[in-house]
Amino acid sequence: MRVTMPAVERGEWLRLAGACAGLLGLASALGIAVNMLHPAPTRLPWVGDWDHHIETKAFRAGIPVTFLAGARERVTDLAVAIFDARLPEQYAAGHLPRALNLPVGEADERLGAFADRLTMETPIMVYCGGADCADALDLAVKLREYGFTDVTLYPGGYAEWIEYGGKSVAGGQP
Amino acid sequence: MIGIRRAYVWAARLAVAAIFLGACIAKIRDPESFALAVHRYRLLPGEWVNLLAMVLPWIELTCGLALLAAPARWRAAGAAIGFGMLAVFTGAISLNLVRGIEASCGCFSTRADAAVSDGWNLVRNGALLWLAAAVFVEAFRSAAARPPPRAPL
Repeated sequence: MRVTMPAVERGEWLRLAGACAGLLGLASALGIAVNMLHPAPTRLPWVGDWDHHIETKAFRAGIPVTFLAGARERVTDLAVAIFDARLPEQYAAGHLPRALNLPVGEADERLGAFADRLTMETPIMVYCGGADCADALDLAVKLREYGFTDVTLYPGGYAEWIEYGGKSVAGGQP
Repeated sequence: MIGIRRAYVWAARLAVAAIFLGACIAKIRDPESFALAVHRYRLLPGEWVNLLAMVLPWIELTCGLALLAAPARWRAAGAAIGFGMLAVFTGAISLNLVRGIEASCGCFSTRADAAVSDGWNLVRNGALLWLAAAVFVEAFRSAAARPPPRAPL
């Protein structure tokens, strides 16, 4: 079916513009009113603190970010190295399958232990506890500084992985 | 031929309205996750993200309702706004694909396990743009055919 515009007078376009403004105004008023009726913990603030969000910091640092679907793919892709940036006791309590523990504060000393499994081009995914933890981003930046070229951050981390039914492996370093 | 065209426009109205009504539900239920989905496009300054997340689902809702049940002029307005939104969404998804951002489009689900955007989203939006344009033309033509109400003397 062809879509052809009818020839109409200018006044009709103005009336259409008025109707558009009316719909947009009604929708905006509804959206803002409903948000204000939300209880405080679930109410969106007018301005969010997005500048300090972990994904914004990763973007600024030039670290690519992946989300749950991408993390699931990487966990099953044996070519990808996965680093858990949390503390050893948190790692031992449960971590993503195939993940290796590399706390950001001990990266200098412990990275050498994985030398036989990594090249500078090995795809790496790093994660920590969840969206409110910065250790994985710090580790990603450090790995980039060491010269690893393909480092990706999974900001959802262990918390999101578990929330969405991901398999958790307990125990120490494989 | 007129019957086929009328059926086509009705089907287009129902399809576009259903898409907008279906799309707004998850966003209205979880505005915080939708704000994160908006932020992931990295197209808006941080100050505008929450305001858009508050308002956009309600624009989809009013457009969907206008397309379904409003008189011709309001239906045309709903279709025009819907067309504009679809065009912007399509551009934003394309940009994400070009930049290699592995995010979900945030279209129908704000859950973390929503499927990552791909070319299929662009094909679907292209079809919806076409349908929204058809609905707009039909509604605008109907509105223009009716004389505007006279002001009382």
